[in-house]
Amino acid sequence: MNKRESSKPRGVTSRRNFLKAAGTGAAAAATFGTVTLSAKEAQAQTFDAEYDIIVCGGGGAGLPSALFSRWLGNKVLVLEKAGTLGGTSFKAAYWYWVPNNAAMRKAGMEDSKTDFLKYVARLSAPQTFDANAPKYGMNEWEYSMCEAIWESASEGTELLAEKGALPYRHVAPVPDYFYELGYKGNTGRVLFPKDGSPSMSDGGRVATRTLSAACRRDGVDVKTGHRVQRVIRNDKGEVIGVEAAVEGGGAFRVRARKAVIFATGGFTHDPELRKNFLSIPVYGGCAAMTNEGDFVRISSPLGVQLRNMNYAWMCPISLDKAIARDPSLSGMFSVAGDSMIFVDKRGKRVVNEKLNYNELAQKFFEWDGASVEFPYLVLVSIWDQRSQDHSASHEYGRLIVPPGTDDRHVIKGRTLEELAAGIDARMQRYANYIGGMRISADFVANLKASIARFNEFARAGKDLDFGRGDRAVEQLFNGAVKEEPGRKNPTMWPIGDQGPYYAALCTGGTLDTKGGPKTNANGQVLDVGDKPIPGLYGVGNCVASASGRAYWAGGATLGPIIAFAYRAANAANKEPVRS
Amino acid sequence: MISKMRKSFNYAAAALICGMGIGEPARAADDLAAARELAISHCSQCHTFGKGEPHGQGPSLFGLIGREAAAIPGYQFSPGYVSAMKGQVWDVALLDRWLTDTLAVAPGTQMVYWQEDAGKRTALIRYLESLR
Repeated sequence: MNKRESSKPRGVTSRRNFLKAAGTGAAAAATFGTVTLSAKEAQAQTFDAEYDIIVCGGGGAGLPSALFSRWLGNKVLVLEKAGTLGGTSFKAAYWYWVPNNAAMRKAGMEDSKTDFLKYVARLSAPQTFDANAPKYGMNEWEYSMCEAIWESASEGTELLAEKGALPYRHVAPVPDYFYELGYKGNTGRVLFPKDGSPSMSDGGRVATRTLSAACRRDGVDVKTGHRVQRVIRNDKGEVIGVEAAVEGGGAFRVRARKAVIFATGGFTHDPELRKNFLSIPVYGGCAAMTNEGDFVRISSPLGVQLRNMNYAWMCPISLDKAIARDPSLSGMFSVAGDSMIFVDKRGKRVVNEKLNYNELAQKFFEWDGASVEFPYLVLVSIWDQRSQDHSASHEYGRLIVPPGTDDRHVIKGRTLEELAAGIDARMQRYANYIGGMRISADFVANLKASIARFNEFARAGKDLDFGRGDRAVEQLFNGAVKEEPGRKNPTMWPIGDQGPYYAALCTGGTLDTKGGPKTNANGQVLDVGDKPIPGLYGVGNCVASASGRAYWAGGATLGPIIAFAYRAANAANKEPVRS
Repeated sequence: MISKMRKSFNYAAAALICGMGIGEPARAADDLAAARELAISHCSQCHTFGKGEPHGQGPSLFGLIGREAAAIPGYQFSPGYVSAMKGQVWDVALLDRWLTDTLAVAPGTQMVYWQEDAGKRTALIRYLESLR
């Protein structure tokens, strides 16, 4: 049996081992990549199985890709690395953002292609944005990818619903995250799995259930515990199959008559890729633990163009859970509490705590050239008993949790002094991970001043320092707060002058990265000459997103993924059978 | 080059040996270790195994065998799961049915899992039995 590291936090042992070959450097080069067969070898090659279309990955991109392929009459196989389906999307709320969707049209909610394109251009190419330019300041590739989302997200969504694979309900009032930019269609684009909870936090479980049930019902073959490691090509360089390592040992070599669609997710859980492609020191995130950038390694020998490797879908995360590699880690989509603030190691507020999660996450990684450090790498959320009583939730990664749930991340103190000591002790525990960060000598004094200043803003309903609660999206994600009749700003309330007080350490993390090989708008992976590599497709976070750094709206991850899954399946379906 | 991988691990045989307590102690320990790795790979995204560990996406599995289904405090089961499972007690037979196809046993459950390989199911069950 494989040697095992001992006494690691749960989950790490098996994954380290199971995925040992997926590690860094030379070992990876030897194991991942491509096999090219001569004509004679291709003839003689024995495959364990043969399909029309193989989908690598059974999550938010893979399952729709497989279904769309199957419904076009193809024999389809899904190869999933983990022991279960769903990938990152299983844990997700699974909102999906579908511009010009059928439900909003039926409800008479106007959407507009030009406004959609301007909106995404403004956010994804802000430095070149020009509302009067033909492509609004986006480059050719960005524009064509965004156009594809407009064209196909609704069509793909409707087909999934029609077939009972992903029935939805329309959450009409949900605004785009940058609603205030004032473009048409800025409300009504969000859909949600029909049988999900009223709070819309459990959509991933529902969607994984309905999508996998449709796969089984409609004859998509699914193999879990199969980690694709190589593509197999014929001597013309066309992709004709893949090779996978099988859980427990052995290899599985499978022929794809038409195409291979990669949907293997990003590289959140590969420290080497993170360190070298993301310019910020994220600790990890809530992507599936098996998301280690496999497609980056598999595709590199094929001469692909890696793009958007520097950006990720981001959110604040609990520092404790990130360091523990806790598989239940959820992104902090909603920062809980109204009588709550974030402070830095000096005890000072530095950011709007209710800022939209992807934007809030950027704050942790601001570099200070004078002190040569990331001064906000860890921020401390501080709340009082009132918020503890009224804002506790087990959803959306909130730090304030109900009694009886896992609250190991929570620090308690009867006074602010006691709380500060607890915060400092917790930082010491993680010294090696956070560059030895400690609270400053004047932390408590600053904290008291910060609370006093915040309380003034809270009473007035206006945060003069950071504008907390100014945006629609901040109201949307406020979470439960105590009913206070007549208050103007539900995101703020004065923090109490009596303990107990609570705190938790936060940092920034990734839902997943969103860079990888460049594809065209049909999901075909392109070579360095911008020509499709025959038979090779990519959908989702394993390939380059045209969104750049932007998180356009809730579901701007999965909605576009459905669009590209639809397009890739349709294009793959038309591929000729290769020898 | 395609490296030669070793033969597929025989989970069924390993589990049998674990369960019967025969064979060399070192081998049996290895097989339980393999079963544990399989369980970690398949189950730990959502479940914890240790005494006193918290629920995750799914309930803690410590002490599962002999426990009443849908009853552990502190975890929110789905209505579909509760209606299908309430009153039943977890034993090896129920667990085997469950792991064969969770959605067939409890339509509407949040746990999406089906395992056609009897050997793998047996291994998982043997590991879960050891959690007490």
